[in-house]
Parts: sequence; C-alpha cells; structure tokens
Amino acid sequence: MSDVRNDAVNRLDSAVSEVFETMLERSCDPLEGEVDTVESKIVARIQFTGAVDGECLLYASQATASVTAEALLGTPSEPHDPMVDDAIGELCNMIAGGWKSKLASPDSNCSISTPAVTRDGLEGYQAKFGTKFSRNYSFQGNVFGVVLAF
Amino acid sequence: MRALIVDDSAVMRKVIERALRQAGLELTEVLQASNGEEALQMLRENHNASAPLALILSDINMPVMDGLQFLETRRAEKLAQGVPVVMITTEGNETFVLRAIAAGAQGYICKPFTAEQVKVRVLPLLRAA
Repeated sequence: MSDVRNDAVNRLDSAVSEVFETMLERSCDPLEGEVDTVESKIVARIQFTGAVDGECLLYASQATASVTAEALLGTPSEPHDPMVDDAIGELCNMIAGGWKSKLASPDSNCSISTPAVTRDGLEGYQAKFGTKFSRNYSFQGNVFGVVLAF
Repeated sequence: MRALIVDDSAVMRKVIERALRQAGLELTEVLQASNGEEALQMLRENHNASAPLALILSDINMPVMDGLQFLETRRAEKLAQGVPVVMITTEGNETFVLRAIAAGAQGYICKPFTAEQVKVRVLPLLRAA
C-alpha cells in the first residue's frame, strides 16, 4: 500500500473511531477481508472541493442505519422514520469532516458539502478520482462501509 | 430559557438540545431552524418577544443559507444583539473559525462533540451575558 493511501486509511479509521466513541458512546472497528454489503442500500455522500477534490461515501443497510439513528438520538426509531436517513447523512458528515481535519495544511483547506442521501445502493458507482479505497467497519455486530476517493 | 438551534440535520438538532439539557440548562422553549434563512425569519418574528432568546447554536455547512451568512446578516439587521452565538460544526479549519468569530460568534465546538464540551463552552457565555 502506498504511503498516501496508507495515511488516508489510518486517518479514516481514526475519524470513524472518534465519531463513534464521542457521539454514540460505542467502539467501532475496521473489518478486514470481504464483507457482504448487498443489503447496504442507504448511501450518504459528502464532496470535498478545493485543495482536495474528492468524495466520501458511507453505505449501510436499513438495519444498521436504524441502530445508528437510535444510538445517536437515544430513542427507538420508527419504521420508515426519516431520521434514519438523516442519521446516516450526519454520520458521513462527521466522518468526512474528521478525515479532512486530520489532513496537513494546505490540503485541509478544502470545503465539504452538505450530505446527500439516496437509497440506490452503490451498484454502478465509479469514482472519478485517482485514489480510491473502501473500508468496512463494525459496531456491536452492525456493519457499514466507507468509500474515500480523491 | 429560550434557545435557537440552527442545523440542517434534525437528528443533530435533537442531539444538541439533549446536550444542552444534560448541561443543566432549563430550557423552556427550543426554536429549531434548518438553515440560516429560516433562523433569520425566526429572529425577525421574535424581535419583540417578551421572553428573549438566551442562546443561539448554529451549524456552518447548510443549504439555502450557511451559518456564516446567517451571522453576517443577523449583525447587519441588528437581530438578537447581545445573545451569545456558538457554532457547532464539522468545519474545524482555522479560516472558518476566524470568519465565524469576525461575524460575531463567541464560541466554537467541532463535531463530534460530547455533552461536557457543550457545557464547558456554553455556560460561561450565559453567565457573562
């Protein structure tokens, strides 16, 4: 793995861990190896523009998204609750922001977009950027994935 | 005590309200806006309210009108003058922090945050107001 990619992965792991420990009071660890993410239809996307051009995508199943919303809010989520998509968007926002804040200047001088959330999954997704990697994470048995491309 | 929370995420508005209550603030009313434009409209409508706002917490990255434009317009229109404003945002970049302070923010909290961090940043501002 190149140094650039290795650094980006380490920053992402650190950002994910910080968000979960601080906002959800749970530990969240990277998963090595192949993980089945077919059910991960909820996708949040944040775009970076400026010194770094790229994007961060977070994808999760309905079940994982519901657990995430419940953990953030401290209350059970309802079926078809719009808060579930909102929670995944905000999770992606905080992870992308955390990753960006760990970049050294001048790369950290980039803007991040507001999150866009869809329920189309990642099928057919192709990054338009030179460096791309995906990483899966698990908290209490709930799995989600993150794609970083820049 | 009345507070205004400005964030495009309804989840985050609830999380921030919960953190304020955990900090010991006795909130009688929490106004919620999903962008700067909505927040300005609320301030205009509440301009002569008998119970004034005690605190404003605002995100920066929002659609329609962002948090920095909200602060600048609020100042230009002389709305809720003297009410402490704390930014709660993923934008920890020094440029954004300085712009927010120049536009009238008194505090800055980076997401992710703990309830304790909210307490430490907010309570001194309320005592000083």
